[in-house]
Amino acid sequence: MFLQQLINGITLGSTYALIALGYTMVYGIIQLINFAHGEVYMVGAFTGLIFVNMFGANIALAILGAMICCMLLGVLIERIAYRPLQGSSRLSALISAIGVSIFLSTLVVLIRGPQTTSYPQMFKIVLYQVGPAKISNLQILIMIISAILMIALHLIVQKTKVGKAMRACAQDQDAARLMGISVEKIISLTFALGSALAAAGGVLVGIYFNAVFPTMGMMAGMKAFSAAVLGGIGSIPGAVLGGLFLGIAEVFGVAYLSSSYRDAIAFSILILVLLIKPTGLLGKPIQKKV
Amino acid sequence: MQKLRKLVWISLLLMVVLVFTGCGQQGETSKQDEETIKIGTVGPLSGDTATYGVSTKNGVEIAIEEINNSGGINGKKITLIPQDSKGDQAEAANATQKLISQDNVSAIIGAVLSSETLAAAPIANDAGIPMISSSATAPGVPDVGPFIFRNCIADQVQAAQLAEYAVKELNLDKFAVLYTKNDYGEALKDTFVETLKSLDKEPLVVESYVDGDNDFSAQITKIAAQKPQAIYVGGYYTEAAKIAQQAKQKGLEVIFLGGDGFYSPKLLELGGDAVEGVIFTAGFYDKDPDENVQKFVAAYKAKFNEDPDMFAAQAYDAAMILIEAIKKAGTTDPAAIQAELAKTKDFPGITGKTSFTENGDAVKDILILKVENGAFKRIR
Amino acid sequence: MFNAYYLQVLVVVGINTILALGLNLITGITGQLSLGHAAFMSIGAYTSAILSLKYQLPFAVVLLSGAFMAAFFGIILGFPTLRLSGDYLAITTLGFAEITKVVLLNMESAGKALGLAGIPQKANVYNVYVLVIVVVFALIRLINSRVGRAFQAIREDEIAAEATGIPITRYKIMAFAIGSFLAGLGGGLYAHYLTYINPTDFGFLKSIEILNMVVLGGMGSIPGSVLGALILTVVPEMLRFVQDYRMLFYGVVLIFLMIFRPNGLLGGVSLTKMLSTRKRRNLETNN
Repeated sequence: MFLQQLINGITLGSTYALIALGYTMVYGIIQLINFAHGEVYMVGAFTGLIFVNMFGANIALAILGAMICCMLLGVLIERIAYRPLQGSSRLSALISAIGVSIFLSTLVVLIRGPQTTSYPQMFKIVLYQVGPAKISNLQILIMIISAILMIALHLIVQKTKVGKAMRACAQDQDAARLMGISVEKIISLTFALGSALAAAGGVLVGIYFNAVFPTMGMMAGMKAFSAAVLGGIGSIPGAVLGGLFLGIAEVFGVAYLSSSYRDAIAFSILILVLLIKPTGLLGKPIQKKV
Repeated sequence: MQKLRKLVWISLLLMVVLVFTGCGQQGETSKQDEETIKIGTVGPLSGDTATYGVSTKNGVEIAIEEINNSGGINGKKITLIPQDSKGDQAEAANATQKLISQDNVSAIIGAVLSSETLAAAPIANDAGIPMISSSATAPGVPDVGPFIFRNCIADQVQAAQLAEYAVKELNLDKFAVLYTKNDYGEALKDTFVETLKSLDKEPLVVESYVDGDNDFSAQITKIAAQKPQAIYVGGYYTEAAKIAQQAKQKGLEVIFLGGDGFYSPKLLELGGDAVEGVIFTAGFYDKDPDENVQKFVAAYKAKFNEDPDMFAAQAYDAAMILIEAIKKAGTTDPAAIQAELAKTKDFPGITGKTSFTENGDAVKDILILKVENGAFKRIR
Repeated sequence: MFNAYYLQVLVVVGINTILALGLNLITGITGQLSLGHAAFMSIGAYTSAILSLKYQLPFAVVLLSGAFMAAFFGIILGFPTLRLSGDYLAITTLGFAEITKVVLLNMESAGKALGLAGIPQKANVYNVYVLVIVVVFALIRLINSRVGRAFQAIREDEIAAEATGIPITRYKIMAFAIGSFLAGLGGGLYAHYLTYINPTDFGFLKSIEILNMVVLGGMGSIPGSVLGALILTVVPEMLRFVQDYRMLFYGVVLIFLMIFRPNGLLGGVSLTKMLSTRKRRNLETNN
């Protein structure tokens, strides 16, 4: 049972990680807790559904389509709700993000109705026996796609010129500007990348759980935010680690303690980790500027 | 910046003016149509639980439309005033109070969730406005007072009947229970486990989840290790469908049992072939040859472009029971309506014959349905 | 015109004001972001409700017990976590709120998922507003005292505050305790007004709702919190006429208010400085 639960935990954790990446990227650059991120993930799941219905069973196209749509949405949200607030208190942007989040989830309810919608079954589920445990092709697919996206993101950030500019903005926006980097463009790009990842997460979760609903973003966003902080907010490998950690913690909480206390167990572990490592698993120690 | 600031104040002012004129208009219309009978609904139209509230509102709408099209009650048309509660207790209380003191409704259908009903019902009862909830199954709801009624199957009765059916008719022996951590799931689980014990059976494992959860893999793996024959799911169709799906993906072959929260065409849509063979208790059966049932299903489909679920059907019946009481009372006086409601006996609705007990709880027939070939089929 | 509905909304405004003032002390004045205010509210609500239902104690006693219980938990949580900074603190408060909710869902004496019904309705427009006035004046006095200035110093610059000899952890915990006390007080009033409480009442959304009031009204401003609570309680009620579009408008209102008043409606405004606001505002805009 241990191995089986570990597989369950990793699958759940990889979906958290995908959403957490977007949180962490945006945070790394403009120190904003982007509360609307969970809703972008939800919109991604719904646009993916529309693409599935249009292009049939092509999962790659659905993910790609949802990613592009959400990129645009992410940029749009940044332009409307966050850019005017640049330079003012971080909490103002947070409230604006909450406004966006409420707006988007209500909008989807108005367009599609509040009910849960099913994803069409895209391929036949096959179970593989791994020692004492079973793993489905769907779970493998989710892990693989998540891994590919995470590695791609890592490469973009670490190896490309744009990535370098992003890292520069994260370190010091003014200095970056002086070096001729268009900070506004980089911020837009960050939102686009983060939102695209969330959209991919949305489609994958939609396929895996076979269900999407307008309020799915709230809880997922909260979990992903926790995962990002757990890993050390602003750190990309941290978000992945935090997501996996949280997923596995939740599953093992149910497996070996009690399902009634699922979230309580997960959050207790989170608080404990933060008390031991106050800046998360892979977070940089906070430099106090005097 | 100064200009911007001015703009803000002006737009704020405009908004306030708009809102007030909006309210004003509402007030005027309410004076105009004193010739109509006003009925309110309270339930979540936004938020996590909106799907149940919207179904309820739709069911009531169908009933009112039907009556209005056939000339209304004693020549008077009915106006429906739906109010959103967001599924939140304080909001439900505010909505109820608004319906009573602002809109002067004669009666209220609602609230939808047990929790919000427990917060809203004392207000209606104190104001002497009849309130019928068509889905608040928790114990204690009808006990709030004489003005509070409900039209749904009590959790205790249905879980007990299904447990007996599973043991005696289906000859099942090994059970697991998976329930949602709210009043509904809690009550179903307690009764199911107690009934099993009275039949000398013990559930192998009892696990829980939270509404809105997506991932049940941990619970299912834990349950699968005990090798049960059947899993009783105390919860609603959205989660039930996901549970059945994930169980299938994990290669767990069991019979799923459930309560009336399963009744929705969405169960079939979301669950696909994973929900084949699911057995559950219900108060409504859409294939019932009864003429009223078919009329309701057709009207609902025509208006909302989907099949009605349990919430819609019970809300429709609640509205019909209320309309019948208003007809008999011959007045919109809430106290007279309450007196007639209390006398309701064997009301022939689409969810079977309904009578109210002394404290306003419904006595209804309980059906047992099974999913066969992607459709509900009545097996008892 | 002044019917039961208006009266009820007015009471809810009062209760929300107390909740917002509590959070304002923690987040607005001392600068510690808390996403778990509803947890302290639930502790106050449940403590007072259980005392009322089981022991029929007088209203004032249960209300104070609830508030002190919340303050106690505030201190317990504050001790280890207040060394964390910024968002790490935010996430622990969020986690604490989720844990509290789950514990209440599983607690036999708290009625589990069904919650507690039949709580005597003791709160009314009079005692709620007497408390609002008491709290407002107490907070004004507090803010203008040595302790209050220490709180603000911590918000402005922790290191500078420490350097001037302010024991920051102790003051942070004090702010947390007082803020939680007010949350517990609000929770007790809430329970004894609605007569029914349930763990789902005190979820993440409730904490966010209170935070909205504080930020929208203006961080650190007491009249701001009062105004924020008033607006965010009354606007959704006013928007009832747009029915399904209600939350859509609510979201838009939040975004627009923040864009046009990034510091909140009354950001930087305090009662004593009301007269000299003009100058202050001009200063702000020049920044």
